[in-house]
Amino acid sequence: MNAPRYSDEALSAWVDGEGSASERAEIAAWLRAHPDEAARVQGWARDREGLHAAYAGVVDEPVPAHLAAVVRGTRAAPLARLVQWDRTRWSGWRLAAAVGSVFLLGAVVGGVLGSQWAERASLARARTAAVAVATAPQGWLQRAAFAHSVYTPEPRHAVEVRAQEEHLARWLTRRIEAPVKLFDLRAMGFELVGGRLLPDGPGKSAQLMYQNADGKRVTVYLRKPEPGTDTAFRYEQQGKLGMFYWIEEKTGFALVGELPKERLLAMAKSIYDQDATLPAPSLTPPAGASAAASAGAGTSSAAATVVPAAPTAPTSTVAPAPAASR
Amino acid sequence: MDAPPVFRQRLLDAIPRLRRYSRSLTHETSEADDLTQQTLERALAHWRQFDPERDMLVWLLSIAHNAFLDGRRRDARMQFSDPSDLLRTMDAEGGSPGADVGLRLDLMAALARLSPDQREPLVLVCVEQLSYAEVAEALRIPIGTVMSRVCRARQALRRHLDGSVTEDGSAGTPRGAEGREGPPLRRVV
Repeated sequence: MNAPRYSDEALSAWVDGEGSASERAEIAAWLRAHPDEAARVQGWARDREGLHAAYAGVVDEPVPAHLAAVVRGTRAAPLARLVQWDRTRWSGWRLAAAVGSVFLLGAVVGGVLGSQWAERASLARARTAAVAVATAPQGWLQRAAFAHSVYTPEPRHAVEVRAQEEHLARWLTRRIEAPVKLFDLRAMGFELVGGRLLPDGPGKSAQLMYQNADGKRVTVYLRKPEPGTDTAFRYEQQGKLGMFYWIEEKTGFALVGELPKERLLAMAKSIYDQDATLPAPSLTPPAGASAAASAGAGTSSAAATVVPAAPTAPTSTVAPAPAASR
Repeated sequence: MDAPPVFRQRLLDAIPRLRRYSRSLTHETSEADDLTQQTLERALAHWRQFDPERDMLVWLLSIAHNAFLDGRRRDARMQFSDPSDLLRTMDAEGGSPGADVGLRLDLMAALARLSPDQREPLVLVCVEQLSYAEVAEALRIPIGTVMSRVCRARQALRRHLDGSVTEDGSAGTPRGAEGREGPPLRRVV
């Protein structure tokens, strides 16, 4: 009996679907008679599938705007294009905020936004204008509003990472150095869509986006606050856009949406409560799941006594983790 | 004359695939997008060289391959990815949920340890799922060379995964050895 012995190259090519039908059938028959070789070839086939699966997610990612711009030949200065693009749609204050948060504190505080903002600005530490823009509450609040206005109209690429991907919270937490929890707003009819990483002055911030059955979207802007800047709930109304924001020890929050104040407040309260009860994602690479569970408590209880609008006791009805994060 | 709109549209459509190929070569999101950008720029600059009868993706992968090699020449430092780097990369890029993260990490780490000569054909075949003929066209090497490099890449990958290779990555065969390989589908009786 002289059974044919196939070279590894031939077997490898067989794994990749190469060769004529008759060659392939011959090899398949030979493999059935040679279990040891077949096991080895199966290992290769598994590696092939594994490699394909490992990179499968990349093709579903939104195409980065700068790459699309290369092809479209529209590679102008991003900010200039943004301002141009939105000149017709945006109300004056948002346009001013977009430019001002990058360049001009003076324009934002003094000229455009008026006394309300000026008052808040007076609380800011005396720093250079640029740093003040980057760090004062109103600076990041403008960025939160700006990011909301930029990304919520996006039908397909509203988020960078979808809610279904379990690492969303972990990834954002590590990037912004503040615990990012995936708050569950389903009680108010809003499902988590996903999140994205954003520039935040000299640092980074995270935006979580939620959507209800009507397609209405709200965003939660999260950032690492400057030490000692805790604030209670505050509310700002800018045109149709309402914003609740508050700052705790480890996280600054801004909830942004075009909704009646009462509905936003209910969501803000829910986020506030959940922040106290949801476990924080681990800041270190997850060697085991245990690290994630340990860091939760104590991140956000400090502000309870200075928050007039929120309940003082955490509710017990909050789910431990939103199902949407699975 | 600038590239026509239809060419640009096809180029836009190819970006996700190009990003994936770049990612599998560099393992670093920003570096991969730089490579994709270079590929797109070269494609736009040389759009007249594209033969519409040919598969555009293969043409683009070929450009990406050259850009990758040029980049490596400029930066001769060896890329070495350790598992924690890869974990961060995967966090940044997101994987498909449900798959075995540990296995994917191992695979990606093992892939990163292959020489580019082996990695490129293996990735084109397994990740991009091109035929050997298409890989030969993209990399401008004979089909027999594709076959032998894929086979050796596979064996090396398995050795890495089975832990039978030391940290210096001494698995695999020396570069340049593929010329000695025999014809495709050689049967040894």
